[in-house]
Amino acid sequence: MQELALLMEAGGVDARDEELIRLVRQAKAGDTAAFETILVRYQRQVLLTALRLLNRNLEDAKDAAQQVFLRLHRSLHQLDENRHFASWLYRITVNVCRDMLRARRPALSLEEAGEVAAAAGEDTIQQDEQRRMIYAALATLPERERTAVVLRDLEGLTTSEVARIMGRSEVTVRSQISNARVKIRKFVIRRQRRPL
Amino acid sequence: MNCAKFEPLIALYVESDLPASEASVVETHLEGCAECREFAAEMRDSQAALKALRTDFVEEVVFQEVRAEVLNRVSMPRKQAAWPRYAIAAMLLMGLWVARLRFVRPAASLDVEPRAAVIATPPVTTVSAPHHRVRSPRVTRRRAFKSEPLLVKIVTDDPQVVIYWLVDQNGG
Repeated sequence: MQELALLMEAGGVDARDEELIRLVRQAKAGDTAAFETILVRYQRQVLLTALRLLNRNLEDAKDAAQQVFLRLHRSLHQLDENRHFASWLYRITVNVCRDMLRARRPALSLEEAGEVAAAAGEDTIQQDEQRRMIYAALATLPERERTAVVLRDLEGLTTSEVARIMGRSEVTVRSQISNARVKIRKFVIRRQRRPL
Repeated sequence: MNCAKFEPLIALYVESDLPASEASVVETHLEGCAECREFAAEMRDSQAALKALRTDFVEEVVFQEVRAEVLNRVSMPRKQAAWPRYAIAAMLLMGLWVARLRFVRPAASLDVEPRAAVIATPPVTTVSAPHHRVRSPRVTRRRAFKSEPLLVKIVTDDPQVVIYWLVDQNGG
Protein backbone atom coordinates (compact mmCIF):
# COMPACT_ATOMS: atom_id res chain seq x y z
CA MET A 1 0.00 0.00 0.00
CA GLN A 2 2.93 2.31 0.64
CA GLU A 3 4.04 1.81 -2.97
CA LEU A 4 0.55 2.61 -4.19
CA ALA A 5 0.46 5.76 -2.09
CA LEU A 6 3.78 6.89 -3.56
CA LEU A 7 2.57 6.09 -7.06
CA MET A 8 -0.55 8.17 -6.55
CA GLU A 9 1.50 11.03 -5.15
CA ALA A 10 3.72 10.89 -8.22
CA GLY A 11 1.12 11.66 -10.79
CA GLY A 12 -2.44 12.01 -9.61
CA VAL A 13 -3.37 8.66 -11.04
CA ASP A 14 -6.66 6.87 -10.75
CA ALA A 15 -7.64 3.91 -8.64
CA ARG A 16 -6.79 1.48 -11.42
CA ASP A 17 -3.12 1.93 -10.64
CA GLU A 18 -3.40 -0.62 -7.85
CA GLU A 19 -4.24 -3.04 -10.62
CA LEU A 20 -1.28 -1.71 -12.61
CA ILE A 21 1.13 -2.41 -9.75
CA ARG A 22 -0.21 -5.95 -9.53
CA LEU A 23 0.14 -6.39 -13.30
CA VAL A 24 3.70 -5.09 -13.29
CA ARG A 25 4.63 -7.47 -10.48
CA GLN A 26 3.08 -10.39 -12.33
CA ALA A 27 4.80 -9.39 -15.57
CA LYS A 28 8.11 -9.16 -13.70
CA ALA A 29 7.53 -12.72 -12.55
CA GLY A 30 7.20 -13.80 -16.19
CA ASP A 31 3.42 -13.71 -16.52
CA THR A 32 2.93 -13.05 -20.26
CA ALA A 33 -0.82 -12.54 -19.84
CA ALA A 34 -0.17 -9.73 -17.35
CA PHE A 35 2.30 -8.14 -19.75
CA GLU A 36 -0.28 -8.35 -22.54
CA THR A 37 -2.83 -6.63 -20.30
CA ILE A 38 -0.34 -3.79 -19.82
CA LEU A 39 0.10 -3.64 -23.61
CA VAL A 40 -3.64 -3.36 -24.15
CA ARG A 41 -3.94 -0.67 -21.50
CA TYR A 42 -1.17 1.55 -22.91
CA GLN A 43 -1.15 0.69 -26.62
CA ARG A 44 -3.31 3.64 -27.61
CA GLN A 45 -1.19 6.14 -25.68
CA VAL A 46 2.04 4.82 -27.18
CA LEU A 47 0.89 4.27 -30.76
CA LEU A 48 -0.99 7.56 -31.15
CA THR A 49 1.82 9.58 -29.59
CA ALA A 50 4.27 7.88 -31.95
CA LEU A 51 1.95 8.52 -34.88
CA ARG A 52 1.85 12.24 -34.06
CA LEU A 53 5.56 12.51 -33.47
CA LEU A 54 6.44 10.58 -36.64
CA ASN A 55 4.53 12.72 -39.12
CA ARG A 56 1.58 10.37 -39.21
CA ASN A 57 3.58 7.53 -40.72
CA LEU A 58 1.67 4.47 -39.51
CA GLU A 59 4.37 1.91 -40.28
CA ASP A 60 6.97 3.96 -38.43
CA ALA A 61 4.55 4.44 -35.54
CA LYS A 62 4.02 0.68 -35.33
CA ASP A 63 7.76 0.10 -35.31
CA ALA A 64 8.16 2.72 -32.61
CA ALA A 65 5.38 1.23 -30.48
CA GLN A 66 6.95 -2.21 -30.75
CA GLN A 67 10.31 -0.82 -29.70
CA VAL A 68 8.73 0.96 -26.74
CA PHE A 69 7.00 -2.17 -25.47
CA LEU A 70 10.06 -4.34 -26.06
CA ARG A 71 12.12 -1.82 -24.10
CA LEU A 72 9.47 -1.94 -21.38
CA HIS A 73 9.72 -5.71 -21.27
CA ARG A 74 13.52 -5.59 -21.03
CA SER A 75 13.28 -3.03 -18.22
CA LEU A 76 10.57 -4.77 -16.22
CA HIS A 77 12.96 -6.25 -13.69
CA GLN A 78 14.38 -2.83 -12.85
CA LEU A 79 11.12 -0.93 -13.14
CA ASP A 80 10.41 1.19 -10.09
CA GLU A 81 6.78 0.62 -9.22
CA ASN A 82 6.75 3.98 -7.47
CA ARG A 83 7.46 5.77 -10.71
CA HIS A 84 4.57 7.23 -12.66
CA PHE A 85 4.21 4.54 -15.26
CA ALA A 86 2.44 6.56 -17.98
CA SER A 87 5.05 9.33 -17.79
CA TRP A 88 7.82 6.76 -18.02
CA LEU A 89 6.19 5.25 -21.12
CA TYR A 90 5.79 8.71 -22.67
CA ARG A 91 9.49 9.36 -22.13
CA ILE A 92 10.46 6.08 -23.78
CA THR A 93 8.08 6.81 -26.67
CA VAL A 94 9.55 10.28 -27.16
CA ASN A 95 13.10 8.90 -27.08
CA VAL A 96 12.35 6.11 -29.55
CA CYS A 97 10.61 8.50 -31.97
CA ARG A 98 13.40 11.05 -31.62
CA ASP A 99 15.98 8.39 -32.50
CA MET A 100 13.94 7.31 -35.52
CA LEU A 101 13.56 10.91 -36.71
CA ARG A 102 17.22 11.72 -36.18
CA ALA A 103 18.13 8.72 -38.29
CA ARG A 104 16.46 10.64 -41.10
CA ARG A 105 16.00 14.37 -40.74
CA PRO A 106 14.52 16.74 -38.16
CA ALA A 107 11.55 18.34 -39.88
CA LEU A 108 9.86 18.65 -43.23
CA SER A 109 9.88 21.72 -45.40
CA LEU A 110 6.58 23.37 -46.22
CA GLU A 111 6.60 21.73 -49.65
CA GLU A 112 7.27 18.30 -48.16
CA ALA A 113 4.59 18.90 -45.56
CA GLY A 114 2.17 19.37 -48.40
CA GLU A 115 3.16 15.94 -49.67
CA VAL A 116 2.55 14.48 -46.21
CA ALA A 117 -0.90 16.01 -46.16
CA ALA A 118 -1.67 14.57 -49.58
CA ALA A 119 -0.35 11.13 -48.69
CA ALA A 120 -2.22 11.11 -45.39
CA GLY A 121 -5.44 11.58 -47.28
CA GLU A 122 -4.94 8.26 -48.98
CA ASP A 123 -4.87 6.16 -45.84
CA THR A 124 -7.81 5.13 -43.74
CA ILE A 125 -6.94 6.88 -40.46
CA GLN A 126 -8.27 10.36 -41.15
CA GLN A 127 -10.10 11.87 -44.11
CA ASP A 128 -10.71 15.27 -42.71
CA GLU A 129 -8.93 18.10 -44.58
CA GLN A 130 -8.38 20.20 -41.49
CA ARG A 131 -6.79 17.34 -39.65
CA ARG A 132 -4.46 16.64 -42.56
CA MET A 133 -3.51 20.29 -42.56
CA ILE A 134 -2.68 20.22 -38.85
CA TYR A 135 -0.62 17.07 -39.29
CA ALA A 136 1.23 18.79 -42.10
CA ALA A 137 1.82 21.77 -39.81
CA LEU A 138 3.18 19.48 -37.08
CA ALA A 139 5.55 17.94 -39.62
CA THR A 140 7.20 21.30 -40.22
CA LEU A 141 8.04 21.85 -36.55
CA PRO A 142 11.44 21.17 -35.04
CA GLU A 143 11.41 17.88 -33.18
CA ARG A 144 11.37 19.35 -29.66
CA GLU A 145 8.62 21.86 -30.41
CA ARG A 146 6.53 19.12 -31.97
CA THR A 147 7.08 16.86 -28.97
CA ALA A 148 6.19 19.62 -26.52
CA VAL A 149 2.99 20.63 -28.29
CA VAL A 150 1.89 17.04 -28.92
CA LEU A 151 2.30 16.15 -25.26
CA ARG A 152 0.67 19.36 -24.02
CA ASP A 153 -2.16 19.92 -26.49
CA LEU A 154 -2.91 16.44 -27.83
CA GLU A 155 -2.03 14.24 -24.88
CA GLY A 156 -3.32 16.85 -22.44
CA LEU A 157 -0.37 16.72 -20.05
CA THR A 158 0.53 19.69 -17.88
CA THR A 159 3.54 21.81 -18.73
CA SER A 160 5.42 20.43 -15.73
CA GLU A 161 4.68 16.85 -16.82
CA VAL A 162 5.90 17.64 -20.33
CA ALA A 163 9.05 19.20 -18.88
CA ARG A 164 9.69 16.11 -16.77
CA ILE A 165 9.20 13.76 -19.72
CA MET A 166 11.42 15.82 -22.02
CA GLY A 167 14.05 16.41 -19.37
CA ARG A 168 13.88 20.18 -19.80
CA SER A 169 12.95 23.10 -17.57
CA GLU A 170 9.36 24.31 -17.50
CA VAL A 171 10.44 27.68 -18.86
CA THR A 172 12.09 26.02 -21.86
CA VAL A 173 9.12 23.78 -22.52
CA ARG A 174 6.67 26.67 -22.22
CA SER A 175 8.69 28.55 -24.83
CA GLN A 176 8.70 25.52 -27.14
CA ILE A 177 4.95 25.11 -26.78
CA SER A 178 4.40 28.80 -27.52
CA ASN A 179 6.65 28.73 -30.60
CA ALA A 180 4.90 25.62 -31.88
CA ARG A 181 1.43 27.13 -31.50
CA VAL A 182 2.44 30.34 -33.27
CA LYS A 183 3.94 28.35 -36.16
CA ILE A 184 0.89 26.12 -36.46
CA ARG A 185 -1.34 29.17 -36.61
CA LYS A 186 0.83 30.70 -39.34
CA PHE A 187 0.74 27.45 -41.30
CA VAL A 188 -3.03 27.25 -41.03
CA ILE A 189 -3.51 30.90 -42.07
CA ARG A 190 -1.18 30.45 -45.04
CA ARG A 191 -3.01 27.32 -46.17
CA GLN A 192 -6.42 28.91 -45.81
CA ARG A 193 -5.38 31.96 -47.84
CA ARG A 194 -3.59 29.95 -50.51
CA PRO A 195 -5.38 30.22 -53.88
CA LEU A 196 -6.74 26.95 -55.17
CA MET B 1 6.07 46.30 -25.25
CA ASN B 2 5.05 45.98 -28.91
CA CYS B 3 2.54 43.50 -30.34
CA ALA B 4 5.17 41.11 -31.75
CA LYS B 5 6.42 40.48 -28.25
CA PHE B 6 2.87 39.64 -27.15
CA GLU B 7 2.43 36.83 -29.69
CA PRO B 8 4.23 34.12 -27.70
CA LEU B 9 2.39 35.21 -24.56
CA ILE B 10 -0.98 35.12 -26.33
CA ALA B 11 -0.14 31.63 -27.60
CA LEU B 12 0.12 30.54 -23.99
CA TYR B 13 -2.70 32.73 -22.73
CA VAL B 14 -5.34 31.14 -24.97
CA GLU B 15 -4.72 27.78 -23.28
CA SER B 16 -4.41 29.20 -19.75
CA ASP B 17 -0.71 28.34 -19.66
CA LEU B 18 0.36 31.70 -18.25
CA PRO B 19 0.76 32.55 -14.56
CA ALA B 20 -1.96 34.91 -13.30
CA SER B 21 0.35 37.91 -13.20
CA GLU B 22 1.35 37.55 -16.87
CA ALA B 23 -2.19 36.68 -17.91
CA SER B 24 -3.50 39.96 -16.52
CA VAL B 25 -0.85 41.88 -18.49
CA VAL B 26 -1.98 40.13 -21.68
CA GLU B 27 -5.64 40.81 -20.93
CA THR B 28 -4.92 44.48 -20.43
CA HIS B 29 -3.08 44.62 -23.75
CA LEU B 30 -5.83 42.76 -25.59
CA GLU B 31 -8.43 45.23 -24.37
CA GLY B 32 -6.64 48.02 -26.20
CA CYS B 33 -5.26 46.21 -29.27
CA ALA B 34 -7.59 45.00 -32.04
CA GLU B 35 -4.72 43.42 -33.98
CA CYS B 36 -3.77 41.25 -31.03
CA ARG B 37 -7.40 40.36 -30.41
CA GLU B 38 -7.56 39.09 -33.99
CA PHE B 39 -4.32 37.19 -33.44
CA ALA B 40 -5.79 35.63 -30.29
CA ALA B 41 -8.96 34.63 -32.16
CA GLU B 42 -6.92 32.98 -34.94
CA MET B 43 -4.82 31.28 -32.31
CA ARG B 44 -7.93 29.88 -30.65
CA ASP B 45 -9.14 28.57 -34.03
CA SER B 46 -5.86 26.84 -34.87
CA GLN B 47 -5.71 25.43 -31.34
CA ALA B 48 -9.21 24.03 -31.76
CA ALA B 49 -8.14 22.41 -35.03
CA LEU B 50 -5.02 21.02 -33.36
CA LYS B 51 -6.95 19.62 -30.41
CA ALA B 52 -9.42 17.98 -32.77
CA LEU B 53 -6.64 15.46 -33.40
CA ARG B 54 -7.26 14.19 -29.87
CA THR B 55 -10.14 12.15 -31.26
CA ASP B 56 -7.86 10.33 -33.69
CA PHE B 57 -8.30 6.64 -33.75
CA VAL B 58 -6.38 3.69 -35.08
CA GLU B 59 -7.99 0.52 -36.34
CA GLU B 60 -8.00 -2.29 -33.77
CA VAL B 61 -6.20 -4.53 -36.25
CA VAL B 62 -3.16 -2.24 -36.02
CA PHE B 63 -3.03 -2.66 -32.24
CA GLN B 64 -3.38 -6.39 -32.70
CA GLU B 65 -0.43 -6.43 -35.08
CA VAL B 66 1.73 -4.48 -32.65
CA ARG B 67 0.75 -6.73 -29.73
CA ALA B 68 1.33 -9.91 -31.70
CA GLU B 69 4.77 -8.77 -32.82
CA VAL B 70 5.78 -7.68 -29.32
CA LEU B 71 4.52 -10.85 -27.65
CA ASN B 72 6.17 -12.97 -30.30
CA ARG B 73 9.49 -11.24 -29.78
CA VAL B 74 9.39 -11.34 -25.98
CA SER B 75 8.57 -15.04 -25.94
CA MET B 76 11.09 -16.17 -28.58
CA PRO B 77 14.28 -15.08 -26.77
CA ARG B 78 13.21 -16.94 -23.66
CA LYS B 79 13.07 -20.18 -25.59
CA GLN B 80 16.38 -19.51 -27.25
CA ALA B 81 18.07 -18.24 -24.15
CA ALA B 82 18.17 -21.58 -22.35
CA TRP B 83 20.16 -23.68 -24.77
CA PRO B 84 23.29 -21.50 -24.99
CA ARG B 85 23.59 -21.67 -21.23
CA TYR B 86 23.37 -25.42 -21.29
CA ALA B 87 25.86 -25.57 -24.17
CA ILE B 88 28.35 -23.39 -22.28
CA ALA B 89 27.93 -25.49 -19.14
CA ALA B 90 28.47 -28.68 -21.15
CA MET B 91 31.59 -27.24 -22.80
CA LEU B 92 32.98 -26.21 -19.42
CA LEU B 93 32.40 -29.68 -18.04
CA MET B 94 34.09 -31.23 -21.08
CA GLY B 95 37.01 -28.85 -20.69
CA LEU B 96 37.41 -29.82 -17.07
CA TRP B 97 37.26 -33.48 -17.99
CA VAL B 98 39.93 -33.10 -20.72
CA ALA B 99 42.15 -31.05 -18.39
CA ARG B 100 41.82 -33.71 -15.75
CA LEU B 101 42.82 -36.39 -18.25
CA ARG B 102 45.84 -34.47 -19.43
CA PHE B 103 47.21 -32.97 -16.28
CA VAL B 104 45.95 -34.93 -13.33
CA ARG B 105 47.67 -38.25 -12.93
CA PRO B 106 46.24 -40.92 -10.72
CA ALA B 107 47.98 -40.56 -7.39
CA ALA B 108 47.82 -42.60 -4.29
CA SER B 109 48.27 -41.01 -0.96
CA LEU B 110 50.43 -42.58 1.65
CA ASP B 111 47.66 -43.98 3.69
CA VAL B 112 44.98 -44.54 1.17
CA GLU B 113 44.56 -47.55 -1.06
CA PRO B 114 45.53 -48.24 -3.79
CA ARG B 115 49.22 -48.10 -3.12
CA ALA B 116 50.42 -48.40 -6.70
CA ALA B 117 49.11 -47.51 -10.06
CA VAL B 118 50.10 -48.40 -13.56
CA ILE B 119 48.99 -46.70 -16.70
CA ALA B 120 49.17 -48.80 -19.80
CA THR B 121 47.67 -49.18 -23.17
CA PRO B 122 46.37 -52.49 -24.43
CA PRO B 123 47.84 -54.95 -24.05
CA VAL B 124 47.70 -54.13 -20.40
CA THR B 125 50.98 -53.67 -18.59
CA THR B 126 50.90 -53.94 -14.88
CA VAL B 127 53.11 -53.82 -11.89
CA SER B 128 51.52 -56.58 -10.06
CA ALA B 129 53.50 -57.02 -6.92
CA PRO B 130 52.53 -54.62 -4.27
CA HIS B 131 55.27 -53.69 -1.88
CA HIS B 132 54.85 -53.82 1.81
CA ARG B 133 56.80 -50.67 2.15
CA VAL B 134 54.86 -47.54 1.52
CA ARG B 135 56.20 -45.63 -1.40
CA SER B 136 55.14 -43.09 -3.90
CA PRO B 137 53.21 -44.50 -6.78
CA ARG B 138 55.28 -45.15 -9.85
CA VAL B 139 53.70 -44.12 -13.01
CA THR B 140 54.74 -45.30 -16.40
CA ARG B 141 53.17 -44.06 -19.52
CA ARG B 142 53.43 -45.41 -22.96
CA ARG B 143 52.69 -43.73 -26.17
CA ALA B 144 49.35 -44.70 -27.36
CA PHE B 145 47.52 -44.19 -30.53
CA LYS B 146 44.98 -41.53 -30.05
CA SER B 147 42.29 -43.79 -31.25
CA GLU B 148 43.06 -46.46 -28.67
CA PRO B 149 41.54 -46.32 -25.26
CA LEU B 150 43.91 -45.92 -22.32
CA LEU B 151 43.61 -48.67 -19.77
CA VAL B 152 44.65 -47.94 -16.23
CA LYS B 153 45.12 -50.86 -13.92
CA ILE B 154 45.26 -50.14 -10.22
CA VAL B 155 46.66 -52.87 -8.04
CA THR B 156 45.87 -52.85 -4.40
CA ASP B 157 47.42 -54.63 -1.44
CA ASP B 158 44.67 -57.17 -1.68
CA PRO B 159 45.48 -59.39 -4.67
CA GLN B 160 41.80 -60.11 -4.98
CA VAL B 161 41.05 -56.45 -5.70
CA VAL B 162 42.27 -55.00 -8.99
CA ILE B 163 40.74 -51.87 -10.44
CA TYR B 164 40.64 -51.30 -14.20
CA TRP B 165 39.94 -47.79 -15.55
CA LEU B 166 39.30 -47.45 -19.27
CA VAL B 167 39.81 -43.93 -20.61
CA ASP B 168 38.89 -42.71 -24.08
CA GLN B 169 41.80 -40.50 -25.20
CA ASN B 170 39.70 -38.78 -27.78
CA GLY B 171 37.91 -36.92 -25.05
CA GLY B 172 34.89 -39.13 -24.94
